[in-house]
Amino acid sequence: MTTICLKGGRIIDPSNERDEIGDLYYHGRKIISENKAKNTKYYDATGLIIFPGLIDLRCHINNVNDGNCENIYSVSKAAKAGGYTTVVLMPDLNPSPDNSATIQFIKDQINKDACINVELTGCLTKSSDGKELAPIGSLKKAGVVALTDIPNSPQNNQIFYKAIEYASMFDIPVIDLPRDLSLSEKGNAHDGPEALKMGLGGFPRIAEELHVQRAISIAKNLDTKIHISSISSIGSVDMIRDAKKKGVLITADTTPEHIFLTEKNICEFNTNFKITPPLREEKDQKAIVNGLMDGTLDCISSGHKPYEEHDKNVEYDLAPEGVISLETSLNISFKALKNHESFSWLKLIDLLSLKPSKILKLNGASLNPGMNADIVVYDPKVKWVYQKQNNYSNAKNSPYDNMSFDGKVINTIHSGDCKLNLKEIKSN
Amino acid sequence: MQIPHWDKKDLIGIENLSRSEIRKILLLAKEYKKNIGIQNNHLKGKRIVNLFMEPSTRTRIAFEVAAKSLQADVISIAEKSSSLTKGETLRDTALNVQALGADAIVLRHSSPGSPLFLSRIVNVPIINAGDGAHEHPSQALLDVFTLEERIGSLKDKKVTILGDILFSRVARSNFWALSKMGAHVTFAGPSTLVPKRFESMGAKVSHNLKESLSDADAVMLLRIQHERQSSSHFPSLAEYTRIFGLNKSRSKWLKKGAIILHPGPINRGVEIDSELADSKNSVILNQVTNGVAIRMAILSLCTLSCKK
Repeated sequence: MTTICLKGGRIIDPSNERDEIGDLYYHGRKIISENKAKNTKYYDATGLIIFPGLIDLRCHINNVNDGNCENIYSVSKAAKAGGYTTVVLMPDLNPSPDNSATIQFIKDQINKDACINVELTGCLTKSSDGKELAPIGSLKKAGVVALTDIPNSPQNNQIFYKAIEYASMFDIPVIDLPRDLSLSEKGNAHDGPEALKMGLGGFPRIAEELHVQRAISIAKNLDTKIHISSISSIGSVDMIRDAKKKGVLITADTTPEHIFLTEKNICEFNTNFKITPPLREEKDQKAIVNGLMDGTLDCISSGHKPYEEHDKNVEYDLAPEGVISLETSLNISFKALKNHESFSWLKLIDLLSLKPSKILKLNGASLNPGMNADIVVYDPKVKWVYQKQNNYSNAKNSPYDNMSFDGKVINTIHSGDCKLNLKEIKSN
Repeated sequence: MQIPHWDKKDLIGIENLSRSEIRKILLLAKEYKKNIGIQNNHLKGKRIVNLFMEPSTRTRIAFEVAAKSLQADVISIAEKSSSLTKGETLRDTALNVQALGADAIVLRHSSPGSPLFLSRIVNVPIINAGDGAHEHPSQALLDVFTLEERIGSLKDKKVTILGDILFSRVARSNFWALSKMGAHVTFAGPSTLVPKRFESMGAKVSHNLKESLSDADAVMLLRIQHERQSSSHFPSLAEYTRIFGLNKSRSKWLKKGAIILHPGPINRGVEIDSELADSKNSVILNQVTNGVAIRMAILSLCTLSCKK
């Protein structure tokens, strides 16, 4: 077996604050130090950026093994194309992962079909319907990395409180998507100026903020961790900032869409901009970007949510919420953040890789010797146009069809496994 | 009569029409109104399909009468009698209607944006006859037509639209039409149905009936739409009537000669007293008659401009 050396690239590794030109060695499945290299093949990485594989904390697929919709095979291909080496599936799967047997069934499918690391979450409540606790301890034993009811959120405060309290005993992360349904049941859009003109609305900021406050209060009260996903409102960012200052163990993410788009993008009733929580106003977008850069928000999750074309090609209020984004997350996040005064590649990769791995207590997200060789090679000079027809995902519901990007993932190496698109060179 | 040049296939809303386009429709409607009762053959041989997915009396019949006055064939499809009850999507229904030889589709639908959605799918003109709370362009055009008939130019005139604004497509379309013609629009009613955020559109917002009526040249009353509201928007119809209903004594707050409009259907005794609805200041039935002329103009312009 040969050692591979990626030579002369810009190495970005937030796990030890490393941003420097250097050589990266891996052998078999693991990253190694130079002095352990044997039979080394050298590849020219000059001008390229090398960073740990991205980790997605929130990703959806419809079916485990259905051929038409997104399945484990297609989602892992799409994720790999976008630079991800780990994705975490939400429990809105068919079948519902609220028992150990189903978890085992899905894991078997993952072992068969996935080309990257695919992790599972289990339901927080049975069938994610918010009425009875799921068998949290058994689910952990079966190997889920977190518990959540996303895209639902338990509406009953007693159930939610008890679920958090019970889960804390097992030291397993709980993720909530903050949404008070009584304030947003028919919510198709943010209650903002654009939606008001369009006769849409029904998902005001307050519907999110009340449940952000709920999570903060419960985390504080029980002195336990809660992760809240997909923050979309300026008020939520402020509350999380204050809570963190007071030492509350709350963590939070947002999506590439919430930092790049606003409610103005829905003006043509294009259902590929319909997501939940909805796109809000410029002041929300700015607050979320600032929140990411100052550490109030911890990470960026793709929120990848695939649909078949006919599901989305309907009247706006009847269309389901969600867009696919694994193949564009890195580029969109870069576009959205690159002009911020605190932007750095270290920060970007921290948000897309190291932080999600810490929140979920996953191993990885580091280029230290001994770690899994989950590595992304990125060429900042490549210009390309995203076209949904050329997706790896089985779904096409992206808001970014025909958008141009600077910079592209040219290789995603998972556990050392990848045919490199790089030129082999002599050692020096 | 000459049909003027028109380059828009569809009539989706007023927001995207220019002032001169609005004027063009109004002028053609005026011609049609002058000759009302005299058949013309402007749309002879054309097939107009009324696709009404929500109940409607005035709008549907006005479009039917308008199309027949232009010698078009009219087919009316209501949701309950169509395959939509069998699970067919709006998209497929419209594609079928097109395949059956429609020259224009008039669409009434509860989903905002549905006419725009269909206009991207079919090649024939889509005429919006009301889409959820988004727009109701033909209603706004006939309201402007009626107002100009009674009070002349709308430049710097004040119009108060009173009632359920939040769920009203009529309010939105009228806001665009009236502002484009130079009028100042006040939205008035309870704070839950007329939230402050309407100011972002450029309207004045008032929760005080007396104040909103006192300087208006015209007041447009809207029906309280129970079917679109959850119970939390206001306590009861009786309370609404007590605080915002227009009755004889409150009509004294209006300027002399101020006119009263209502797009219908009227709930007599709720938003307006019966007596006022039938008074000489009320133009409610003129609106209905003018609605035919306006829809004749819309059908002619859109259908004849469209090269299939």
